[in-house]
Parts: sequence; structure tokens; C-alpha cells
Amino acid sequence: MATPFPSDHMESKSIELDQSAIAAFASQFDPQPYHLDASAADQSIFGGLCASGWHIAALATRLVIETLLANGLPFVEMTSVSRLKWSRPTFVNEKISVRVTVATSDEESPIANTRCQTLEIEVCNGNGAIVATMTANAAIAIDAALAAST
Amino acid sequence: MTDLYLRDRWFEDLPVGEFHVFGSHTFSELEIVEFAKNFDPRPESTDPEQARLNHRQGLTASPWLLAAMWMRKMVDYMEVYAQGVNDGRRNGAGVAISDLQWLEPVRPGHTLTYTYEIVAKPDQVIREKWGMIRSRNEAFNQYGNKVMQFEIDILAERRPKESGDPQQQ
Repeated sequence: MATPFPSDHMESKSIELDQSAIAAFASQFDPQPYHLDASAADQSIFGGLCASGWHIAALATRLVIETLLANGLPFVEMTSVSRLKWSRPTFVNEKISVRVTVATSDEESPIANTRCQTLEIEVCNGNGAIVATMTANAAIAIDAALAAST
Repeated sequence: MTDLYLRDRWFEDLPVGEFHVFGSHTFSELEIVEFAKNFDPRPESTDPEQARLNHRQGLTASPWLLAAMWMRKMVDYMEVYAQGVNDGRRNGAGVAISDLQWLEPVRPGHTLTYTYEIVAKPDQVIREKWGMIRSRNEAFNQYGNKVMQFEIDILAERRPKESGDPQQQ
């Protein structure tokens, strides 16, 4: 049976992270000095004011959702992440984008009328350097997926 | 005798098996919608009426909102127990997470309680002064059902050679 899913990787648009966006997320969810205070950040393990890793994960997932939908894959929900590695900080005014590769999965989706697909996700900055990698399972709607393939 | 708390100690002083129930949070409809607008702006994720037609039959919290709130509750916990600590006992960095699962939907009004347990301390020295703490983290809803779990590796600073007393900076 022909797979209704593209096997090549897909690329998202990019989103720029300015200081107000980094501070807004950090003040709500991750109020640590290296995300909020420029001088403290310069002295920190990261060496500069940078986005929360959770901010990057959530933004990357938004880009993944938009990219899958734009490519005709009816994303329903992310159900698990087997691995997420933060490789480098994302500093103020840097851009991020994602590359997504969709693979079939043997796992059963926990959501009715969906199939489980494994997403290999690379999060890149504006220079093309990888800032995070993520392997996730997503529930993809079955009916719409078949409809999209015909 | 001074008590030693989470993020108030050097890497060497953190024992495998240490367990904390470190925070609870009740998720409002507003914060569920606001988070989704930023991170999953599909109408079925942000509009209460359209969400009634989605596979969950209503608004549910974005998975990353549940994880981001874990971070907030952990930072708040550190604020209480590690006041005045501004070195690497406290300000380490997360490196990677694994086995992150979202097990049940979280709806407006649900309350999650977050737990943290140190499960491993791999024997490695990172960038000369850091060690790795692996913790297992779980969140339970108001019915006692586990709704999220993950393991995370976080850097903790090793005790400086000159410092015999972990309380001295």
C-alpha cells in the first residue's frame, strides 16, 4: 500500500525571537536570570540572554503543526517525545525554524481515528546551526489523511 | 545546623532517590487559550466553541503548557529554598529530556501536582565543573491519575576544590 505521507523532510518558515517574546515566556514560565536579565545572563552558563528551552520546544511544535498541515498531514496532537536535546542557546533576535521528517510508527495511537507517526525534528537557528533535536510521536487523522492522498 | 535543600547543594551532595512534591497548579480556561494562541493557533485548540467539536470534545491544555508549568513550579520552589544562591548549585541548565509522555487530557479547572525524583548521577565531568543530575518527573491530576511524565538531565555544579563547606559561596 502506498503511503499517503511524504517521506522527504519538510521545512517550516522561521520565527524571530525578540527580547520581549523571550521575556514574556520566561516571566510566566521560566523566570531565571539568564532569560530575563542581560547582565546576569552574560555571566551565566549560556553566556548571554537566551530563550527558555521550553519556549523553544513549544515554538518548534507550533512550526511542526503548521508545516504538517501545510503539507496535507492532518495533525491532531503530539502524544509523546522520546528524546529532546537542547544543543545550543537561542539568543535575542535569533530566528528558529524546523525541519521535520515523518516516519511510520509501529505504536498504536492513543487517540481514536488517528494513526501514530514518528516525527524527527531539527530546530535550526538563522545560521543553520541546530539548536535542538526532538523525536516525537504524533496522532495523525486517518480519514483526512487518506482523503488528502487521493 | 543548616538544612540543605534542592538547588542549595553541590552535585556531590544530591542523593539518588531524593523525592520532592514541589508544586501544584490549577489551569484556567484563559491560560489554556492564551498559550494555545501562541503555540497551537488552530481554532479547535483556541476557541471554546470550536473545541467542542474536536477529538477531546472541549478545550484541553497544550502539552507544552503542562511542561512549561513544571518549570515554573520548579523555579518557584527554588526561590523558596535556595534564596541567595546564585552560583551553579542553582543556575544549571537543562540538557535533554527523554520518555516525555502526555497520558490524559488536562481541562480548564484541572489541578496538577508535580513530583521530582533524582534517579541517576552519571559519572562524568562536563566542561570541567558540572555534573549531570537525572530526575524523573511526574504530574498527577486532581483524581490522582498521572497525566505527564518525563526524565530530564540538568547540570549541577560540582563542589569547588577550595570550598569545604557547601554553604559557603
